[in-house]
Amino acid sequence: MKKSIFSRLIALGVLSALIATASTGCRFGFASNPDDPNEVEEVEPIDTSVDTFAYDPSLQGTSITLLNSKAEIQSALVEMGAEFEKKSGVHVEVMPVTDGDSPYTKVVSLYNSGNPPTMSILDTTDVIALAEEKAADLSSEPWLAEAEGYLTEVNGKVYSFPLCIEGRGMIYNKAVIETALGETFDPASIRTLDDFTALLDRLVEAGIERPVSLAMEDWSLGAHHLQYVYETYDGTSAGAAEAIELLKSGQLDLTSYDRMSQFLDMFDVLRTYNVAKSDPLGADYDEMAIDLVDGKTAFWFNGNWAWPNLEDADAEKDDEYGFLPYFMNNDPDDFVNWQIQASPSKQVMLDGVVATEQQLAAAKEFLNWIVYSEIGQQMLVKTCNIIPPFRNNPYEPSDPLSRDIYSHVHDGTAFNASAIVPNDHWSILGAAMQKYLAGRSDRAELIASIEDYWAQQK
Amino acid sequence: MKGKSGGKDFCGFALPGMFCFFAVVIIPFLYGVYLTMTDWNGVSAVKNFVAFQNFASVLKDTQFWTSLLLTFKYVIFVVIIVNILAFAIAYLLTRGIKGQNFFRAGFFTPNLIGGLVLGYIWQFVFSRVFVGIGEATGWSLFESSWLSDPNLAFAALVLVSVWQLSGYMILIYVAGFMGLNQDVMEAASIDGATGWVKLRSIILPLMMSSITICLFLTLSRAFMVYDVNLSLTAGAPYGTTEMAAMHVYEKAFTSRQFGVGQAEALILFVIVAIISGIQVYLTKRQEVEA
Amino acid sequence: MNNASIGGSKRKMTNALAMTGLIIIFIAYMFPFVMVVINSLKEKRDIIKSPFSWLFTIKGLSFDNFVKAFTQMDFLNAFKNSLIVTVCSTLLVTLLASMLAYYIVRHNNKISKITFALMVASMIIPFQAIMIPLVSIYGGTLNVLNHRLTLIFMHTGFSMSMSVFMFHGFIKGNIPIALEEAAYIDGCTHTQTFFKIVLPLLKPIISTMVILNSLAFWNDYLLPSLVLTDKELLTLPLSTYSFYGTYSADYGTIMAGLLLCVIPILILYVILQKQIIGGVVSGAVK
Repeated sequence: MKKSIFSRLIALGVLSALIATASTGCRFGFASNPDDPNEVEEVEPIDTSVDTFAYDPSLQGTSITLLNSKAEIQSALVEMGAEFEKKSGVHVEVMPVTDGDSPYTKVVSLYNSGNPPTMSILDTTDVIALAEEKAADLSSEPWLAEAEGYLTEVNGKVYSFPLCIEGRGMIYNKAVIETALGETFDPASIRTLDDFTALLDRLVEAGIERPVSLAMEDWSLGAHHLQYVYETYDGTSAGAAEAIELLKSGQLDLTSYDRMSQFLDMFDVLRTYNVAKSDPLGADYDEMAIDLVDGKTAFWFNGNWAWPNLEDADAEKDDEYGFLPYFMNNDPDDFVNWQIQASPSKQVMLDGVVATEQQLAAAKEFLNWIVYSEIGQQMLVKTCNIIPPFRNNPYEPSDPLSRDIYSHVHDGTAFNASAIVPNDHWSILGAAMQKYLAGRSDRAELIASIEDYWAQQK
Repeated sequence: MKGKSGGKDFCGFALPGMFCFFAVVIIPFLYGVYLTMTDWNGVSAVKNFVAFQNFASVLKDTQFWTSLLLTFKYVIFVVIIVNILAFAIAYLLTRGIKGQNFFRAGFFTPNLIGGLVLGYIWQFVFSRVFVGIGEATGWSLFESSWLSDPNLAFAALVLVSVWQLSGYMILIYVAGFMGLNQDVMEAASIDGATGWVKLRSIILPLMMSSITICLFLTLSRAFMVYDVNLSLTAGAPYGTTEMAAMHVYEKAFTSRQFGVGQAEALILFVIVAIISGIQVYLTKRQEVEA
Repeated sequence: MNNASIGGSKRKMTNALAMTGLIIIFIAYMFPFVMVVINSLKEKRDIIKSPFSWLFTIKGLSFDNFVKAFTQMDFLNAFKNSLIVTVCSTLLVTLLASMLAYYIVRHNNKISKITFALMVASMIIPFQAIMIPLVSIYGGTLNVLNHRLTLIFMHTGFSMSMSVFMFHGFIKGNIPIALEEAAYIDGCTHTQTFFKIVLPLLKPIISTMVILNSLAFWNDYLLPSLVLTDKELLTLPLSTYSFYGTYSADYGTIMAGLLLCVIPILILYVILQKQIIGGVVSGAVK
């Protein structure tokens, strides 16, 4: 009670100061409504009664740092660190990287300042760039067995801990489709690009003029769209790497590579039904979430990280959202038409240069605690809202998008391929994709710029 | 302040400031220049001396030269518009018009909005307000978002930079007008100097030091534009609005060619140094001493 | 008589015209700031869907964003940190730069010329070009990062060149050397002359530089982010990090946080503005 009066006073003071200084000279409607009960953020309860994890008492009082580049879980990680400290006596300081500077830049400057973080959450590309020079070897850690298939190896050694699985595809709003068509919608019934196009046509007839949202951001076009070309080579990370090697050496001719033209077939369908078709590069990312929730569109190409956006747009956790695959042809047995791409994204790397033995042991204990302790398992899924790559973790994520990816992974309708591309791939080829999206270039020009890009990589 | 005690003056007056400046700016800069001659990638423990190899790579980086050309075009627009606008507004705001304090506070506000919010607000203006105007009036200029057309996105960058930089320059011009000797101004008015004559033969020469400063600041800031570039267009549409500073940053940290990026930064620095050196030399000559 | 009245009405006309133009430009300048104020009081959905709608047409006025920003930023602690760093750096740079500029203007020797040229040139160095060398020297070699003093020292060093440049121009253009000569005749030392005669005359430029520098220090993000990592030391801009996600940003809270950050600067501006005017009015007969 006291606190709420206090905060209201502050807000009032702020407002009057604003009116006085900015002198906007307009009326303010004093309709300050009482707090909407729906707005109270629900916190998933963590059961801390059972804890069979064996903590190493000699590590008590150790202090370690964790650099976090996944901003949306910043406060969750702080909570996790606090809980871990309560149990183990190891202090975990969570340092954020903000949107403005890249995680890699931050790590590089921290290494140069002689004060690198004990643990860093990084993208896979960054880990590979730093691994042999800076990282601690984790090849003999026990959790390797639980994360089989999700590990990244550099010259036969493991340097990083896979933190989460992320998947992407065509997000659908089930209620919107069912209302428009007047029948139940079974996502599994759509098995080919023609099926998908037919569905879109029916939605158009039903009054949803342009049922697809397509982000124009270069990271969406350059990474999330275009990388299907490599990832669908055979649906594995090794295959993607092979495709990239062939591209670099000029042995893979994109003009005749079937996945390239298939990818563009799908992309062309999305372009045709794009809600922002008249001005595709003027599309607003945040508005897409609202359009999908409100039913102005039925599909949005994105990944399970888009949940916070949907939630901000008033979607509820028990609404039905899910993913359709990125259809690439009309063969219902081709894996691309019935599997969703889902692979580990963020990795935790341990510093092997400056950290003391004691700190390294504490960091390793923290990682083991996430994998094996009852509390760590719960917090990874419930507090951080992450899809765990560890087989022994019994908890299921709670938002519809992560839930759908989770069930695809467990039902075998997901393929685990992530292409490791140079760090500027998304920005340089994202620009080329923007040009194609806007209709300012054709397939030949796009393919030429992709081949140019790879020819320059050694 | 001339004469025997020159050495003591130097230690007391000049040395502390010079020390800060050299320790923080010059020494790291020289170290940076050394780094352009190595193959260091920002991380590795070894730095091999490669002489001018990085500079050779710069020559081959066509995107850098394209972005540099675009930067030149941008600088010309921004410098001219900002200075004329800021000078005129500052002049009006120091003539004792009604509510000038209120006005000045308002013209100060562009300085308060930076980073992501700046980009976000202006994206709204270009993709919503302008499109709204287009729908209402049918003008083809406002038909679709300015940010999706290369030329209009460039215009949008100029517009936002003018808004932000002139908010800053107004402050300096206002201080300049405030410092003008009122007696001289009044004497000029009594002598019958009005309008253009007064502006050209009295005000401009007396304001020359402010003009030197503002021209220099707009020149260098426009050449190094980064924040506005990143938050408003981030190079979109399809990389057509990527200015030099942004390209340098991308090269060093996104493409991870640290040495090449550092070398490009050095080339950018030399170009800007030459141009603004000429500008300062030319305008300083016009200054009158009180 | 006739002539004068024609001149008068013509003057009124141009005045009215200038006034109208000024008001139009003024509105354009204010617009983004007003948008921030309005939208800081709305929910994210309303911000995106109807950014221009006025408050009472939607869900109503809500201070939630401010409350959230205030708590998540650990506002009071961050405010204290920003205040210490900004005040110390501003005082230091104002003092050191005015003295150095004064020395350069009055001593036309080689050191003056070289230093001044270096300073002018250094203003064009892109910060990104010295960022990595800077942290390797101060962190890797000297190991003095993560202290407020280091940040204050660096702020002072980085803003030195522009401040000297500004003071230099002002002293050269507006401070008559005759005044100082008179002071020497009266037996003043150089130090006394500077602090008693010159410094008070620098009031308008000092006010301007205090605003410009404290604005830059207060809002700076990049340099503090390189120097400070300890949570207890974070300044206001650094403390808004949690509002930015990789794929989504909490616009309402960001705008509320921005306003909380800039209010002190606005207040400083309003105070100093009166100072500038006061100084000029007392010096002029008009």
